[in-house]
Amino acid sequence: MGNNLQFSFEAIWKVLLAGLILGAGLPLLFALGVRSLAWGAGGEAEVHADGTTGPKPQPIGTVLGWLLFAVVLAGIALGITFIVASGFGKQLSFEHIFPTIVDKH
Amino acid sequence: MTQSTVILVLVIVTALGFDFTNGFHDTANAMATSIATGALRPKMAVALSGFLNLVGAFLSVEVALTVTNAVVKLQTSNGTPKESLTADGGVALLLIILAGLVGGIVWNLLTWLLGLPSSSSHALFGGLIGATVAGLGWAGVNWNGNGTKLDGVVGKVILPAIMSPVVAGIVAAVGTWLIYRAVIGVAQKYTDNGFRWGQIGSASLVSLAHGTNDAQKTMGVITLALIASGHWTDTKNIPFWVKVCCALAIALGTYLGGWRIIRTPGKGLVEISPPQGMAAESASAAVILASSHLGFALSTTHVATGSILGSGVGRPGAQVRWRVAGRMVSAWLITLPAAGIVGAIMWYIGDALGGVAGAIVIFVLLLAAAGYMYLRSRQAPVGHHNVNDEWDESTAPVERVPAGTGN
Repeated sequence: MGNNLQFSFEAIWKVLLAGLILGAGLPLLFALGVRSLAWGAGGEAEVHADGTTGPKPQPIGTVLGWLLFAVVLAGIALGITFIVASGFGKQLSFEHIFPTIVDKH
Repeated sequence: MTQSTVILVLVIVTALGFDFTNGFHDTANAMATSIATGALRPKMAVALSGFLNLVGAFLSVEVALTVTNAVVKLQTSNGTPKESLTADGGVALLLIILAGLVGGIVWNLLTWLLGLPSSSSHALFGGLIGATVAGLGWAGVNWNGNGTKLDGVVGKVILPAIMSPVVAGIVAAVGTWLIYRAVIGVAQKYTDNGFRWGQIGSASLVSLAHGTNDAQKTMGVITLALIASGHWTDTKNIPFWVKVCCALAIALGTYLGGWRIIRTPGKGLVEISPPQGMAAESASAAVILASSHLGFALSTTHVATGSILGSGVGRPGAQVRWRVAGRMVSAWLITLPAAGIVGAIMWYIGDALGGVAGAIVIFVLLLAAAGYMYLRSRQAPVGHHNVNDEWDESTAPVERVPAGTGN
């Protein structure tokens, strides 16, 4: 029991950390992407006083929005690669910072 | 056909049956939020989830043969069954597996009837533990592992069940809070459309991960039965037809859609909005993937429910029905022992009658129980047409507000 408890806490901290980065961080980027697109679109996309036309479109917002979506998509691609790789007896290594696929030890 | 071949066929059919219940029991984990928020039409959601489960099941080529080793001592560490159990064509081992599977299915069907999202892996492990205790005594169960790694009933089942929903809940709560902060000032119509895609993407990831995680448990159990009865010897690979059958069973189950269960987390627990749905599914996907990377076994059901609760906590002003949550948690607590008791009783019945007769009788008992619960479910059917109806306080024992206080 004692050992298992210790191993669990060791693992669960990492799960929490990874969960916060990927499971809350990526959705935040996605939300910021939505925010940027709305900024880029202006007008009805943003909350504004009734009767006015709303803020002016800001093209830079559109670019920023899609950039953020690209980062999120890369994160999801990493997730799918992880599923597929572990299915084929490989695993993702972050040894060189960027992920590489290596054999499971 | 020899005795053991007949029992083997029953084991395979029952295992595929379990896989099927596993599918529809867990559709809710991935799709309850998308269905509740209308991001996907109900039929579309279950079709997508079923397809991704099918794909996921084929991606899980990793050998899952030692899956039962986490909780019971039926196998040696390389996956072959213990020799003491394979005498007599493996009948002893087959009976334990059959009784355990029956325990898992019966509990899965009962919780489905009650609309409770309980864990399918707990049901399977519970059934196997009960049948093993009945067949081999308490010493046949791997309670605590050997202390060198996370193992045993405590390390692989109980501790993850306590910790994983909490972690998923924290991640989802933080995610929900951040998302709402980030989109202040954006028109709701605009955000809802954006988060619709975020939800579909994150829910798809959960479906895929579910297919890889859960289908291989049944693949492992069937292969163990094949080895025990002498029909397969390779401990490094799983027969291809087993993979195909299990993948199809879990995908069909998912496509059928456990509408009774989808309703509870989707409508009963929290009234979910699109940003919450995206936060909840992203949290589930991240926690499931991170855990399997670290060898931390968990139940997708616990994670998904924890995430949905967390998304309710993280949204200022959202209502969480804690009574519904309490009912779910109590179902989780009794899943393992309840499935275990059914598994044990089935083993005693099967063993008392002995051999083929015993196996056939417990199989018939399973069919009778399943048929009865199906008929009961028809009295108040839940399907894709009414899955999103308003949560009715009179039919479901949810939180009641004392008269006069209003809400």
